[in-house]
Amino acid sequence: MSPRSARRDRWTAAALAVLALAYLGLGRHYPLDTLATPGPGVFPLVAGLALLVLATWQLLAAGRSASAEGAAGTTRGPAPRGGSSLARAPLAMSLVLALYASILPIVGFLPASVSLVFLSARLMGLPGWWRPAVLAVGLTLACRVLFGSWLGVPLP
Amino acid sequence: MSELLAALTPGNLVACFVGVVLGTIVGVLPGLGPAGAMALVLPLTVKLGPTAGLIMLAGIYYGSMYGGSTTSILVNVPGEAASVVTTIDGYRLARKGRAGAALAVAALASFVAGTFSVVALQLAAPPVARIALAFGPAEYFAFALLGVALLATLSGGSPAKALATVVVGVILSTVGMDPLGGTVRFTFDVDGAQAGLSFIAVTAGLFGVAEVLATMAEPSSTTPPTRVRFRELYPSRAELRRSLPPMLRGTGLGFLIGLVPGPAATIAAFASYGVEKKVSRHRAELGTGAIEGVAGPEAANNAAAGGGMVPLLALGLPFTPSTAVLLSGMLLSGVTPGPFLLRDHPQVFWGVIGSFYVGNAMLLLLNLPLVGLFARVATIPQRYLMPAVLLLCAVAAYADNNNAFDVWVMVAAGILGYAMRGLGYDPAPLVLGLVLGPLLERSLLQALTIGRGDVRELWSSAPAAVMLAAAAVAFVSPAARTCLHLWTRGRRPSPAE
Repeated sequence: MSPRSARRDRWTAAALAVLALAYLGLGRHYPLDTLATPGPGVFPLVAGLALLVLATWQLLAAGRSASAEGAAGTTRGPAPRGGSSLARAPLAMSLVLALYASILPIVGFLPASVSLVFLSARLMGLPGWWRPAVLAVGLTLACRVLFGSWLGVPLP
Repeated sequence: MSELLAALTPGNLVACFVGVVLGTIVGVLPGLGPAGAMALVLPLTVKLGPTAGLIMLAGIYYGSMYGGSTTSILVNVPGEAASVVTTIDGYRLARKGRAGAALAVAALASFVAGTFSVVALQLAAPPVARIALAFGPAEYFAFALLGVALLATLSGGSPAKALATVVVGVILSTVGMDPLGGTVRFTFDVDGAQAGLSFIAVTAGLFGVAEVLATMAEPSSTTPPTRVRFRELYPSRAELRRSLPPMLRGTGLGFLIGLVPGPAATIAAFASYGVEKKVSRHRAELGTGAIEGVAGPEAANNAAAGGGMVPLLALGLPFTPSTAVLLSGMLLSGVTPGPFLLRDHPQVFWGVIGSFYVGNAMLLLLNLPLVGLFARVATIPQRYLMPAVLLLCAVAAYADNNNAFDVWVMVAAGILGYAMRGLGYDPAPLVLGLVLGPLLERSLLQALTIGRGDVRELWSSAPAAVMLAAAAVAFVSPAARTCLHLWTRGRRPSPAE
């Protein structure tokens, strides 16, 4: 394990520990009752503690790997692959998806889905305007017919 | 017998055909796996009714195992993780001009293994279900815990990471109503969350949306497939003779590995290749284009898919993401898998088993003549394919509960799945945690109630005690190794000393 991945694992383990603590904190709102009549808070308590233990274990394991690598003289990990534009593309797609989820109940299935397919096709690198537009309209109508008309799914 | 023949009704035959064709296409396409594809068509299968719907889902499941080999051999791109091993010798055979023979042997091995595993499933599931009738909450809790422990230990990566991922899935399963008392938990007053997080939305996000995001981050080029003519599909007599022993070894090994939780198909394929390297008469040729390197792993991954159905149908416990989606499909259709499935819904149980025979025959007939066509599917540019995957994910997520909140869940799960890939976490254990969470909670609380608060109730019966002990060993051994390593390092003098 490179120091970079060990550092990444330590941060992930710390994030899991924070998640476990937050979950345990929220779980305190639900009663534990007794072991004979366990309440809705018992299982979240068990699951939260399990995650906390596992996060600690992972933290120890990541620390062990990092120091072993450090002793071996490894100081730098490999350079990250891909340029900044490649790193930005998934972020842009995530924003498009969030936009889709926001507008779906407001504008309905057809306009929202045409927008989603059009924008995602553009982000995936489909050149020009008419090809993404034809793809968007074609796919959306096919889905509308298949799921809405044929299968009776009440699309918004 | 009449229930077994239910698979031959026109509706079920069409469902089986559509399922195996979709499965083959999914297997051919790198990225979107069978679990994601099955989640996408869940709304469709619910409308078809329990038997036809499950036949279609099962067809996708084992059809993907068939399809995965096609691109491994022709393009050197495995469609599925389980087909990675096939690329080693399959692609080299294609380079030698034996692509047709390799494809035919892969299809034959898949057929032999698929048929054997159905017979074994047919024989094994009813007795296992009868034994499971004696299981109470403590035994179910112990068995689910053992499954989780084995999954974490056998998945190949870090056990701490796999276990943490399972627990995150379990934590997500506690959103919504608690399974016993009906108390609404962790919903933050969001109406759509009261029924819990949609399993379909989470699966579509983790596998479908995350795949799209990963494709955007690392776009790949596609290699034109090797052209195969129909007359080239016949393997020589020597190739067939050499294929038979690895096919049979892979089948037996794959079915047994399929019974164990974890990525069974992938493990089975690698294990079969390992066995061939040890015992095959032509082991020296493995890695240079030996037919044994195709026959064994292809038989093993198909047999493992059949083996994975035993815990699902007999116990109601899914141990792979694909069988978890099958479980979800069953529940959505009003069918509860487990020991009572055979008693309450024999037509579904035997109809699905019968469809496996039909589906395997269909796959053999489809995969040989249409192999060139399926290989071309792999070359569809991702800029056309991925927007379609996104739209299908969104429709599948919405259609589960007709709820826009589930689309948000899908988006969040997609981003989470993408982040998990980057951080070296496999998303499959999260799906299993989400499915097994309610079972773990219900059985734990019921066992405590039966034992009037005495935790010893959890290991009061011999099967529960044995399974809990095995789970404890599986849990503790990796953690103990970590502690031992830390301790020995602390005692070892540093280089400066």
